[in-house]
Amino acid sequence: MADTVTDALRPFALDLTNIRKVFFARQQAVEAISNVSLRIQEGEVVAVLGPSGCGKSTLLRILAGLDTDFTGTLDWGHVDGSTDKERLRSATVFQSDSTFPWLDARKNVLMGLSGLTLDRKTAAARADTYLNLVGLGAFQKSYPHELSGGMRQRVAIARALATEPLLLLMDEPLAALDSQTRLVMQQELLRIWAKTRSTVVYITHDIGEALTLADRIVVMTARPGRIKAIETVPFGADRNVIALRGEPEFGRLEVALWQLLADEVGQTLQQQELAS
Amino acid sequence: MTEAVVADLGTLRDADRQRRRKTKQLQFVLGIGFPICLLVVWEILTRTGIADRRFFPAPTTIGTVMVQLLESPMERARIGADIVATFRRLIIGYGLGAFAGITLGLAMGLSAKIRYSVAPMITATFPTPKLALFPFLIVLFGLGDASKIAILVLGVFYMTCLSTLTGVTYSNPMYRDVAQAFRIPRMVYWTRVVIPAALPSIVTGLKLGVGQALILIVAVEMIASQEGIGHFIWNSWEIFDVPRMFMGLIIAILMGGGAMLFGEFLERKLTPWVVR
Repeated sequence: MADTVTDALRPFALDLTNIRKVFFARQQAVEAISNVSLRIQEGEVVAVLGPSGCGKSTLLRILAGLDTDFTGTLDWGHVDGSTDKERLRSATVFQSDSTFPWLDARKNVLMGLSGLTLDRKTAAARADTYLNLVGLGAFQKSYPHELSGGMRQRVAIARALATEPLLLLMDEPLAALDSQTRLVMQQELLRIWAKTRSTVVYITHDIGEALTLADRIVVMTARPGRIKAIETVPFGADRNVIALRGEPEFGRLEVALWQLLADEVGQTLQQQELAS
Repeated sequence: MTEAVVADLGTLRDADRQRRRKTKQLQFVLGIGFPICLLVVWEILTRTGIADRRFFPAPTTIGTVMVQLLESPMERARIGADIVATFRRLIIGYGLGAFAGITLGLAMGLSAKIRYSVAPMITATFPTPKLALFPFLIVLFGLGDASKIAILVLGVFYMTCLSTLTGVTYSNPMYRDVAQAFRIPRMVYWTRVVIPAALPSIVTGLKLGVGQALILIVAVEMIASQEGIGHFIWNSWEIFDVPRMFMGLIIAILMGGGAMLFGEFLERKLTPWVVR
C-alpha cells in the first residue's frame, strides 16, 4: 500500500523506453524500430505520423501485445492492466474491418469483453453504453454485413472503448472510409474521447488528421523508425473539425510537418529503389 | 406541382413492378418449358421410329410403366426396400465420415503436432479414387453393408477433413489479432471465433461430401449388392427393362436433388452471415 503515494506521482499511462524491433528476413536483419522512447500522459491523444514502412504499425502491434518479441521496456504506470480484471491494458481498433461477421453488433462488443471478469449485467450495460456512444444504439441486433463500412468501424470502436482500456490504440482506423465519412468520424472521435477521457495512440499517415485529433504528434523517420520530432498541437480540447482547417495555425503546422516528413518520404523511396 | 411528382412516382413504381413480374414469368416459363420441349422432341423421335424404342422408350411409355410398377404392391415394396437400403447406407456412412472428418480437421487446426503428423498423409492419399479401394474394403469388411458404408465414410471423410482444415488454418488472420489484442480466452476463441470462421468452409466440405457419397453409393451398389437404387438400375439394365431403368434413374435424380436442397438448407442455417 505504500506504493499508492509514489503511484500518484506518476500520472502517465505508458512509458516506452528504448523500444527496438528487428525482423529477420532470409539472411538479412531488418531493423524496423530503433530506440523509441516516449512517455504518454493519461488522457492524452498522441498521433504517430510517418512515411509508410517506418514501423508505425510495428510499434502499434507491440503496444497492443500482438508482438512480444522486442527489446526495451513498456511501463504501464500506476495501474498495470494485468492486475485489473475490469479494464484491458490496451484495446485496438484496426485499420481494416475487424468485426466478426457471425456476431451482431452487440455480441461483437461483448466478445471484446470476454477476457475481463465482468458479471453479465455489467457487460451488457457496457455494450449498451458504448454502442449508444458511437451512435449505433438502434443497430445492436444488426450483423456486420447489414451495416456500412463506417458503421462497422464504429462497432470496432465501441468494442475497444467498452473494455475501458488504459490505452486506446488506433491503427489508421478511418483510412478505409471515404473522405466525407472520415470528417464526420473525426468529429465523432473527438466527442467520444472528450466523454471517455481516453488515452489514445493514433497511428496515421494523414497530417491533417493528426493535427485535427492529437494533443501531440510524434513524427517518425524512415526505416529504421526513430522519433524525429514531437510537435505539441495547441488547439485545446473543444475542436471543430471543419473550423480548425481555417485556422492559420493549422496551416502553419501542416507545412511544418510536411517539411519534416518530406525528407523521410524521399528516404523511403530511395530505400525502395535500392532494394529493387 | 408536388402532386404531379407523387402521381408520377406511383406510375413509375407500377411500371417497375410490372417489369420485374414479367422477367419472373419469363424465367419460370422458359425454365419449365424448355425441358418439356426436349421431352416432346424425344417423344416424337421415338414415335416416328427415328430413335430405337428399345433403347429410348418414349417419355409417355416410361410414365405408363412407372405407374404400372407403382400400382403393384409387390413392386412398390421392392422399390421401397431399395430406397430404404440406399438411404440407410448413405446416412450412416455420411454421418460417420462427416463426424470423423470435421473432428480430425479441427484437431489438426488445434494442435500443430497432430497437423504435422497427419496432414501430409491425408493430402497425399486424398487423390486416390475411392472406388479403387472397394475390393480391399470388401476384403476387410465383407460383402455386406459394412464395406459399402466404409467407402462412404472414406469419401466423405476426405472432403470434410480437408475443408475443415482449410477453414481453420486459412481463416482471416485479423480474427487472431483481435482475439490476442482483446485477450479473448482460449476456449471462447475456439468455440466462438475459430469454429464460426471455419464454418463456411466446413459447410462447403459437407456439400461436396453429399455429391461424393451419392456417386460412391450408386457405384458400389451396382457392383456388389442385392438391394439399393444402384442395384435397381443395374438390374433393370441386365434384364433389359429400359423403362424400369429410367425409373431408377429418376429416383436417383430425386435423391440427388433432395441432397442438394439439404446442402443449401444447411448453408443458410449454419452460415446466415455469408452474403451469397
